[in-house]
Amino acid sequence: MRWRNLKIASKKVKKGDTFSAEFCITDAIYTGFIELFRDKNPLHTDARFARSKGFAEEVMHGNILGGFLSYFIGECLPQKNVIIHSQEIKYIKPVFKNQELDLTAEVIGAYPSVNAIEFKFYFNEKRTQTQVAKGKIQIGII
Amino acid sequence: MQNSATLNDVLKTFNEIFIEVLENEDIVLTYETTAADIPEWDSLNHIALVVAIEKKFGVEFTAKEIQSYKNVGEMCDGVTLKLQAKK
Repeated sequence: MRWRNLKIASKKVKKGDTFSAEFCITDAIYTGFIELFRDKNPLHTDARFARSKGFAEEVMHGNILGGFLSYFIGECLPQKNVIIHSQEIKYIKPVFKNQELDLTAEVIGAYPSVNAIEFKFYFNEKRTQTQVAKGKIQIGII
Repeated sequence: MQNSATLNDVLKTFNEIFIEVLENEDIVLTYETTAADIPEWDSLNHIALVVAIEKKFGVEFTAKEIQSYKNVGEMCDGVTLKLQAKK
C-alpha cells in the first residue's frame, strides 16, 4: 500500500491525489461472509448453477468489495479519525474466489469547510487490470 | 450557475439542492429558514448540503464561515459574495 498525508484541515489533500491497496477474496473471507450474512444464493455457492447462468464459477458477493472499502477507509488511511458518509458502487464484471484486486481511490473533492473528502474508486482485477467495480465514496474527518 | 446570479437565484438553487439532498419535495426555503425548521436537516445532511452547494456554485467555504451562518439567507449572501468576487 502507499499513502500520502490526508490532512484536510491543513489542505494537504487535493484533487487528483490517489491511494491504493491490494485485496484478494480468500476462502476465509468468502466463507466468513456467508456465515455472517447467510446469503447462500446459488449464484454464490453452486458452481453448476453459476455456470448455467453463464459464469465460469461461483460469483463472489458484491458486498465483499464493500467490506474491502470499509477496511480501506477505516484501517488503511494514515488517520483513524475518519467516518464514511456515503458510498455508491457499480459492479461491472463478476469477481471469483482467489482473484486478486487492486483498489485505487482518487480524491475528486476536498471540502475543508465540513472536513469531507470525496473519492472515486475502482477495483481492477490484478492480472489483467480489467475493471470489475467502480464508485464514489465520501468520508469525513472527525 | 453564472457569476451574475442574484440573491433570489441563489435561494432558488438552494431550494432545489435541499429538495434533492434531503429528499423532501415539500421544502420551501426562505432567507430565515434554519435547521430547526426542517426535520431532515441533521448534522450528516448538513455536510451533504454544504458539499452540494460548494459543487453547484463552484465556491469554497471555510469552516469558520459555515459556522457563522445563522440561517439560509446568510449562506445565500455568502455564496453571492463569493460569486461576485470571482467576476
